[in-house]
Amino acid sequence: MIYSWKNIVKHGLPLLTVCVLIEIIAGQILQINQDLLVSLFPIFLVSIPVINSVGGNIGSILGARLASGLHVGTITLSVKDKKMQENLFTAILIGFITYGVLAILIYFIAVFGGLVEEIGLTKFVSILLGTGVLLVLVISFVSVATALWSFKQGLDPDDMVAPVVTTFGDVVGILFLFLFIGVVV
Amino acid sequence: MFAKEMVKQSLPLLIICGIGGIITGSTFSAMRSIFEAIPGLIVVVPGVIALRGNISTALGSRLGSAYHLGVIDAENMVNEELWQNIIGSLLLSFIMSCIIGLLAYITSLLLGVYPNPYILISIVIIAGVISSVILALLTILIIFLVFRRGYDPDNITGPALATFGDVVTILCIFGSAVLIGGFA
Repeated sequence: MIYSWKNIVKHGLPLLTVCVLIEIIAGQILQINQDLLVSLFPIFLVSIPVINSVGGNIGSILGARLASGLHVGTITLSVKDKKMQENLFTAILIGFITYGVLAILIYFIAVFGGLVEEIGLTKFVSILLGTGVLLVLVISFVSVATALWSFKQGLDPDDMVAPVVTTFGDVVGILFLFLFIGVVV
Repeated sequence: MFAKEMVKQSLPLLIICGIGGIITGSTFSAMRSIFEAIPGLIVVVPGVIALRGNISTALGSRLGSAYHLGVIDAENMVNEELWQNIIGSLLLSFIMSCIIGLLAYITSLLLGVYPNPYILISIVIIAGVISSVILALLTILIIFLVFRRGYDPDNITGPALATFGDVVTILCIFGSAVLIGGFA
């Protein structure tokens, strides 16, 4: 037999525990801002899973592309590498388009659901675009750093990038959101 | 050229994931009065969703590898290897749900919020285990359908679980909060 539940649990626990410890920070940031989210701007409660899932996905796509490039040898271990820069630029461009489209969609769904009373379309879209682009920028660098680091350590970047990027992205995404709400509103 | 190809291939998938996110977010926002009634509950949401994603995608990719190794196939799917995988995932979900509930309780105390530990921890465990069972069944169903068509499960299970997983999980948190909160 190849699989045993004991090994699955034993190998899963350390990484999941680290992941959960970091996610609790994200949760506490939500609780500290709970009044703002619940009574003032419920539209941002709709946005949080969107911000996190799109950011995590873009980071994972970029990480997977870099990992394949490093394995095959078309990308070298340097931030000055042309292919590396091209990948980074595209990730940010995709982030800008995706967050823009989804921000408008969320706003109209929220208007339809009676959630928008305190904020206008322009302000809302700029908060989401600001959060999204900054998040993709930071996540891209974390993704590149994780890919390079794990490759140097002899670990498979395919195993490392996705969990690191999604966990880190959840905390940073929520932090950036409150930062931009503070600046714009 | 290169950027155009990446945008064309990734953008539709990202928008679909984003729409999945909007459904999750709308449920999240519909729970507003529950968050006010049960202190500490909002803290567990990112953790339970992330846990669910990590455990179910790992299950999906292990079953994908098992398929490539020839350990399971469309004719011989329900065997001992599959059971070990499912038991392992469910046990991990149970243990990690207990840890999330405890951590949320302790960190809330430190920050001056006083949740009811029994209510909070039982909501997390019920939501964690039920969503885990639903997603394990969904994973097996997806892999079964993918096998029968002769596709590579590695290409399908990840995105499918990422899209359904969050929605299923937040609905389970909602359901168990209503159930436990209603009793209390």
